[in-house]
Amino acid sequence: MQIVVGVADMKISSQPQQLVVTHALGSCIGVAVYDPMVKVGGLLHYMLPESSLDEEKGRQNPCMFADTGIPLLFRECYKLGAVKHRMRVKVAGGSQVLGGPEHFNIGRRNYAALRKIFLKNNVLIDNEDVGGTKARTLYLEIATGKVWVKIIGQNQVIKDL
Amino acid sequence: MSLVPQVLRSLKNLPPFPMVAQRALLLLNKPEVSIQELVDVVKFDPAITANILRISNSAYFGLRREIHSLHQALLLLGTQELLKIIIASGATRLFSAPTPGYFTERQGLWRHSVSCALMVDLLGRELSLPDQATGFTAGLMHDIGKVVLSLFVEQKFHEIMEVVEQQGVSFQAAEKIILGVDHAEMGGEMARMWDFPDRLRLAITYHHLDKPEAYTDDLILLVYLADILTLMFGQDLGTDGLAYTGYPEVLRHFHLREKSLQRVLLQFGSAWDEAQIFFGLMGKQDGVQRANRG
Repeated sequence: MQIVVGVADMKISSQPQQLVVTHALGSCIGVAVYDPMVKVGGLLHYMLPESSLDEEKGRQNPCMFADTGIPLLFRECYKLGAVKHRMRVKVAGGSQVLGGPEHFNIGRRNYAALRKIFLKNNVLIDNEDVGGTKARTLYLEIATGKVWVKIIGQNQVIKDL
Repeated sequence: MSLVPQVLRSLKNLPPFPMVAQRALLLLNKPEVSIQELVDVVKFDPAITANILRISNSAYFGLRREIHSLHQALLLLGTQELLKIIIASGATRLFSAPTPGYFTERQGLWRHSVSCALMVDLLGRELSLPDQATGFTAGLMHDIGKVVLSLFVEQKFHEIMEVVEQQGVSFQAAEKIILGVDHAEMGGEMARMWDFPDRLRLAITYHHLDKPEAYTDDLILLVYLADILTLMFGQDLGTDGLAYTGYPEVLRHFHLREKSLQRVLLQFGSAWDEAQIFFGLMGKQDGVQRANRG
């Protein structure tokens, strides 16, 4: 059964029959975390790096921003029995348009914000597929913890993370 | 071998621009539009009138009263909003064929086009520009060339993508190299055949800012920027992904900083949810439901 994660949205699951998916990441970032011991996983799709942009919105929907969404993603997984040091972390998205990287760089800022939070909290990224100009759809299979990315294009390239 | 003759031949079978939308386009340039003029445009098309009422009552406009008539819609929403709704309802049919060269999902182009139109409105608001249905319409129609070019892009997709990847150029530039014509030019040609107002036609032709003429009208820059932001937001992205060029001079021109862009994206997130009613104009099967874009 597919569970769709929208923009600025998050789903946590321990239901083995569920496939959690987020469609068409542009400059947004998708973070998939999974604890193989308890088979608990979560997928976050955030839009922007920092909630300081609009703290009210950040309170209403923490999943809008990296700095409010990522901690929530981990906390919600802990509630279902996941333990931080066992968690696998995979990241996809953060695409950019062509041209000067110092402008239109929300994709890169989104990625930088995630790295900063992970460094501070000693979280390692196990695998990632970020940057470039591709549109990506990100999948997390709760039964196995398998994570893959579909590159939107004619051949629908699939890449395991 | 250039496909240009073939592409141009396919224009011979171009369907006419829907009449209601055509007549609404003519009203775009008028400073004052009377209720009667708007009623005259839509009165012979009950489907469009029904759509107008449906959209007027949607979350997107957030009106507290239920609207039962065209007159009421006009009073509460104003001419410009009503023109947008009429044009969107009228133009839907043009987007009904799938465009597999660009989108794996049947309604992909329609959804991207509506998104871009909404983004033009939000950007206009951020920049305190007067709200004009012209901007929305240009956003809605900017990629209309893809309707015709899709067939050819589909045949040559791998060659086009190879140029994008090896030469680092935009998807549009690669179309031009491989097909001899790109979707913006194509759209401009269609706009000419349909007798679109000049500003609208030029916004379609130059929306990727690949010619100096693009800089003659803020409308073109606005549509360009809205398109780029729509791609960044993701959702309904096509096979061309984000392979278009970001020009920082456009941000400077509008005195837009990155924070402003982030703010616009933030607002777009909510507007996009509320605007699902526009996406649903295409038909019930994928309808208002969030379509599978995988």
